[in-house]
Order: sequence, then C-alpha cells, then structure tokens
Amino acid sequence: MTTWFWIVMAPVVGGLVYGGERVLRARMQRRQGPPLLQPFYDMFKLMDKRTLVIHSAHALLGVVHFLVLWITVGAIFFGWNLLYIVFLHLFALIVLVIAGYSVRSVFSQIGANRELLALVAYEPVLLLVTVGFYLYAGSFYIGDILHHSGYLSQMPLLFLALLVILPIKVKKSPFDVVEGHQEIVGGVEVEYSGFFFEFLYMARFLEYIFIYSFVFLFGGADYWLGALLVIGTFILVNLVDNATARVRAADMVKISYLLALLLAGINIVWMLT
Amino acid sequence: MPGAMLLILLPIVATLLLRWFRSEKMQYILLATTVVLLSATALKLYFSSAVLTFHFPHWLELFIVIADLLLLLYFLWQGRRFDRRIITLLAVIQLLLYGWAESVLPEEGGAEVVVDALSTFMFLIINIVGGIIVVYAVRYMSYEEISEEKKRLFIAYLLLFLSVMNAVVVSNSLLLFFFLFEMTTLASYLLIGFRGDETAQKNALKALWMNQIGGVVILLGTLCAIYGYDTTRFDALTGSVGGTLLLCVSLVSMAALVKGASIPFDGWLLGAMVAPTPVSAILHSATMVKIAPWLILKLSPALGGTGVGLLLSTFGGFVFVAASYLALSRTVFKEILGYSTIALLGLMMALAAIGTPETSILTMVLIFFHALSKAMLFMTAGVVEKLHHLKDIEDMKGLIETAPKSARFILFGFVSLTLPPFGLFIVKLFAIEEVSHMLPAHPGLFLLLLSILIGSTLLVLLYFKVTAAILSRPSDIVGLGHEAMPSGFLLPLAILAVLVVFTTIRLAAVQQVADLTLFFVPIAMLVLAPLAYRWMDRFDRVKCYHCGEKESFDAALYYYEPTPKIRVAIYTFFTLLFVSVALTGVLS
Repeated sequence: MTTWFWIVMAPVVGGLVYGGERVLRARMQRRQGPPLLQPFYDMFKLMDKRTLVIHSAHALLGVVHFLVLWITVGAIFFGWNLLYIVFLHLFALIVLVIAGYSVRSVFSQIGANRELLALVAYEPVLLLVTVGFYLYAGSFYIGDILHHSGYLSQMPLLFLALLVILPIKVKKSPFDVVEGHQEIVGGVEVEYSGFFFEFLYMARFLEYIFIYSFVFLFGGADYWLGALLVIGTFILVNLVDNATARVRAADMVKISYLLALLLAGINIVWMLT
Repeated sequence: MPGAMLLILLPIVATLLLRWFRSEKMQYILLATTVVLLSATALKLYFSSAVLTFHFPHWLELFIVIADLLLLLYFLWQGRRFDRRIITLLAVIQLLLYGWAESVLPEEGGAEVVVDALSTFMFLIINIVGGIIVVYAVRYMSYEEISEEKKRLFIAYLLLFLSVMNAVVVSNSLLLFFFLFEMTTLASYLLIGFRGDETAQKNALKALWMNQIGGVVILLGTLCAIYGYDTTRFDALTGSVGGTLLLCVSLVSMAALVKGASIPFDGWLLGAMVAPTPVSAILHSATMVKIAPWLILKLSPALGGTGVGLLLSTFGGFVFVAASYLALSRTVFKEILGYSTIALLGLMMALAAIGTPETSILTMVLIFFHALSKAMLFMTAGVVEKLHHLKDIEDMKGLIETAPKSARFILFGFVSLTLPPFGLFIVKLFAIEEVSHMLPAHPGLFLLLLSILIGSTLLVLLYFKVTAAILSRPSDIVGLGHEAMPSGFLLPLAILAVLVVFTTIRLAAVQQVADLTLFFVPIAMLVLAPLAYRWMDRFDRVKCYHCGEKESFDAALYYYEPTPKIRVAIYTFFTLLFVSVALTGVLS
C-alpha cells in the first residue's frame, strides 16, 4: 500500500527535488533563487495558459512519454528487474524522440536528434552498471540488489562512470546539449505549451527519480549510505553544473565512451577476475 | 521425408508450370496455391518434430558431382568472359580442391540428408516469408519495363531459390552443402545481374567472387574433415573430439561469415541493391544470408566453449557495432536496411557461436523475427520506389502525409525491430541476461556483451533517424493524404504485419515471465492514443516556432560519416579478424 502511495506521489517528490535543486544552485551562485515550491507554482501557472497544439499525435506522445516514465519509476519502487526498467525507460525516451521528430520544427528536430545522441552516450554505461549489480548480487531484481551491501568497494569505477553520465540524464552542464536553452530553446520541449507542456515538465521530475535510484542502489542494504550517496551526488552534480561550460553533442558521446564506458568496462573485467 | 521432398520439388514444378500461366490472374492462382501448399507442409513438418534421414542413391550422387562440375566450369567461363582474374582463379582453385575431395572420398554410411528441428524451423521462414515475397514480386514486376517473358523468368528464379534453400537446410554432407552453397551463389549472381546494365553486372561479379571464397573454405574444411575424421557428415564431424576438429569447423564457419556479408564482405550484399527489390527482400529475410546463422548453429555443438567459438562470437559482436555505425552515413533507404541486416546477422552468428541451448534458441527467435520485419521493410521500400519513386530518405520527408500506408508499414517495421514487446527486443534483452549470466564462467564474452549494448543503441539511433524523416509534419489542419496501394502490395504486407503481432503474443505467452507483460502497456498506449484525436479538437492549432525568422527552414537529417582513415582501419581490422578465425583453428 505504501509502495502505491509513493508511486502516486513520485511526480510530487521529483518536483520537490527539482525545486530543491534550484534553491541549491541559487545559493551556490549567491542568489536569492526561487522558493522550494516554485515548480508547483509553475504548474499552476501553466494550467491557466492557453494550450496550443501543433498536431494531435505530437501532443499525445508527450503524455505517453510521461506515463511510460511513471510506469518505469513505479517498477523501480516495486523492486522489479533493473534490466527491464532500463529498457522501459528507453521506450519512454523513444516516444519523446518520435514526438520531437513528428513536427517540422528545427529546434524540436535538433533536440530529438540530440536526445538520441545522448541515448547512445549513456545507455551502454547504464546497462553496464546494471550488469555490474547483477554480477555482484546474482540477480537483476532491485529487491535482491538491495539485500546485499558493499557495492562501493566492488564497483567504485562503475560508480564513477555513473557520475560521468548523470549530468546527461538530468540535463546539467557540461552535458546539457539536449536542452540547450540558449541555442535550441529547450529542444523537444519548445513545441509544447500549456496543458501538454505540464506533462513534459513532470516527466523531468520523474527522470530525476529514475537516475538517482541508480545512485541509491550503490548503498545496497544500507539505506543511510544510499541516501548519503544521493545527497552527495546531488550537490556534486550541481557544483559541476555551475563550474563547467556546455560541450558539443559529439564530444559528449566521445567523453562518455572514452571515460565512462572505459571505467565501467575496467570495473566489470576486474570483477570477473 | 516426403514432406521435405515436396518442399524441394514443388517450387521446381511451379517454375515449370509458370510457362503456361501467362495472365497475371493465372500467375497469382498458381503462386498462391504453391505458397499455401509450401507453408502448410512447412508448418506440418515443424509441428511433427520427428527427425528424418535420407541416404542418397548412387545415381543422385553422380548427378550432383556432374552438376557441381558444370557449375564451377560456368563460374570459370564467367571469369574468362568478363575478364575477372579473381573469379577464374577462385573457380580453378575450387575445381582442384573439389576433384581432390572427390578422389579421397571415404565410404561412409551416414545420411546425406537429415531433417531435424533446425531444418523444419528454417522451412517455416523460407517457405512462409519467402513465399509471401514471391507473391509480392508479381505486382512489383508489373511496374518494370521488360518483356513478359523476362518477368516470368524472374519469378522462376525466386522459386528456384526457395527450392535450393529448402535443400540447403537439410543437407548433412559437407560436399552436398558445398554444391548447394554454390547454387545459392549462382542464384544471387543471376538475380543481381538481372537488369543487365553495367552496375548490375559489376555488382553481380563482386557477389560472385566474394561468395566463391566461401566455397573455397568449405572445400578446405571438407578436406580437413576427410583426412582428420574420415567423414564428410556434419553430425559425425561435430560429434567427434580432439585432433584438428577446430580447424575443420573454423574453416567451414568462415563460409558463414562470407554468406552473412559480415564486414569485410559487406560489399556484395550492398551491391545486391541494384537488383529489383524482391531480390533484396528475399536475400535479406528468408534466404541466402540466413545460411550464415544456420551454418553456425549447425556447427555450434563443436564450437561452444572453444577459442574459435569465442572468436566467432566476438567477431559477430564487432560486426553488429561496426555495421550499425557504417549505416549512419547512408542516405539510400535500402542501403540503410542492408547494413542493419548485416549488423543483426552479426548478432545472430555471435549468439549461435556461444553454443548453449539457450543461445541457440535466442538465435532462432532472432532469425525468425528478423525475417518477418526485414521482409516487410524491403517490400515497403519496393512499394515506395514503384508508387512514389523515392529511394533516398532525404526525399522521404513527410512520407506520412503523402503515403500514409507505406509510412505506417515502415514505422511498424522499425518498431518491431527495436521496441518492446516485439521479438527482436526480447532477444536482445534475453541475450544480455544470458551473457551476463555466463560472464563469471566465461569472462571472454565481455566484449560480446559490450558490443550488444553499444550496437543496439546505435541501431536505435539509426532507425529513429529514418523515422524522423518519415514522420515530420507541419500540422494536422490538413489531413493525411490517401494512398492507393494495389492489393498485390497491400495484402502481402498486411499478412506479414499480422504474423509479427501474432507471433509476438505467442512468444510472450511461451516465455511466462510476468514482467514481460509490463512491456505491453506502453505499446498499448501508443496504439490507443489516436482514440483521443477527436477530444484534441478543442485545442487551437499553431505553427512551429521559428524564432522570428520569416523564411521557413527545415532541419536536415544527421549523418555520421567515418573519415576515410577510419573506414580503412575498420576494413583492415575485420580482414585480419577473418583470417585469424582460421589461425585460431590451426593453433587450437
């Protein structure tokens, strides 16, 4: 019952995390920043806006994207097969990519293309992390993975690899080309407005929960360690976001492969010997 | 046995009858009857699951020897005729090796023909998918500007091809397999050169010499088997132990890499695009290239857990990645499909070479679903080419508006190749699970695992790049256009689509993994989304955001072109890897 409660509340929790992040970033830059609940105020404001649609399929795909992500997060809370969860997440992303491509908007199409490039960059690493968990815990099920501990000592490089790709997923500098507000005005998001943009906005909250769940898993049976890792990573990612400039999309793939994939690969080989 | 005999003879009978079936209607009746009979026989054999064997009488053996010699002499003549030294040379080498093998042929009992579970499974694909393509070809050829005589000849070639393929998958003798392998080479040579222009001739010759390399290595493998184990039978060979077994097996399996158009042999399959599209459809899905995974599966009892098997797996994995990458620079739709075939064949061979029962089943599922989806995609490519005169994906922008039916078949094809809950996705998922499971005991498989992970995401990038072109629409104020698709095109495509859906549900039911049902939810949402279209009318429509620009501009598709240096590096690397398969065989 509590699981269901948390699944229903997932977008709210994600929204709080997102709001907290904006506060944290403002503090890092010595700004006042928005209040913690700003994402929710934004949501109310969006509800008042007139909704404009390019075409039905495009708008509805945004909703499907959000719903599939929600199912993905629900599957995480239920402790299901991590490998399946990664692929379910992939499905959600593909839906968004199709949506982005389905309109004749330059920004949307470039955004969708970068979304795919980002996928190429992080997906293999995410899957290798999953395989790492499997090799150590002997199961792909999150429920089983959380019964073991000591992941950090066995998979330190995989954790580093996850840290490298994490900014891609939360669209933070140096890997925020997918969104690139200053150049492609939000990418896929740009053609959504009002009611339908809300779904995309909430989808972002769910992405936070999805990717930080991986960080949490490294704590294993020790939930406090997991929580500590999440908080530490959260601060680190924002620090890096403030301190770095955006890299080009192609370089994002290169960095991910030459650094994250290499680290992950070495770790897996090391675990096997 | 009569069932398998029927599968081999019926297409030949239909070919002979075709002379008297001049009108299109009559041809449809003849072909539909043939295909239904073939499919029914294949299904019956598949579900009967009895192993049948057949020993050749002396006269049949003699007939095959003579046919083989004639075939090689024909290749020799083609080499002389078009002044291609490499073809002549390879033909001479094969003639010598063949003569040698025949002169030292051991007297042995085992059967030349064995119909086992693998054969009946291949029957299903060859006859059902291949049959559908043959029926489709009638309408396709009606758009070609050639004589009726030649059109019928084309259909006849396709039918004969099915017959040869049905024979290939039951052959248990290496020499019989060599003969049939050369027959498929001949078939591809004739089909690729069918249009008779300069490019067609050039590409046909390329296919000829590349495939002849396969013939040479099979003969070398046969000689190895004769001298090492006194046998030319697949089952006797893979059942033996020790000695030079791995050398024999590695030599024969190199033929699979050639037939499967693995890099560096990708040129011949890509060159096959000049032929009428049903040729591509039949080569890529039901026949020809599927010899590759079939052969590896056939040899897998001897390959599993060995160095050669591991090398082949890694080779296949690398091909999976490299071919997906090379496809990203292509603009011609059929070439993109071609490279994705090469990539997936790499994956099939990689899984087959692991050689456990689980991976063998995965390979078979992959072969099956790939055949269905690729046939559908190539057939649609042919439709788009004939009805709308489009070949390049750059020209296919907005296809969903101008040709909604074709566009939907292409989209469904891509979705069935990448997304859950369809067969290919399930195979990739289970392959990752299976390889991860085997990893602690076989760390060498790590490179394959990595290749599967990277290759699958590259393929996603590839397919959805093309999707981008097809889907882009400015608005839905103007509805989709109407596409009049002749039923000669629509029906075969629809049957394939129904088969994909039906078999996917069956596959999920067989697996009995509860979590898999989770994957049906997203696809159901996508399918049901159009129900909300009417409700969407309440929202106002708007044009895309153009950042204040008055000129409307369009985003280009992205291409990822390897530099010439990288290209050379890739081909050199794979050539070395190909040679090292034999070397590993020698060393182990």
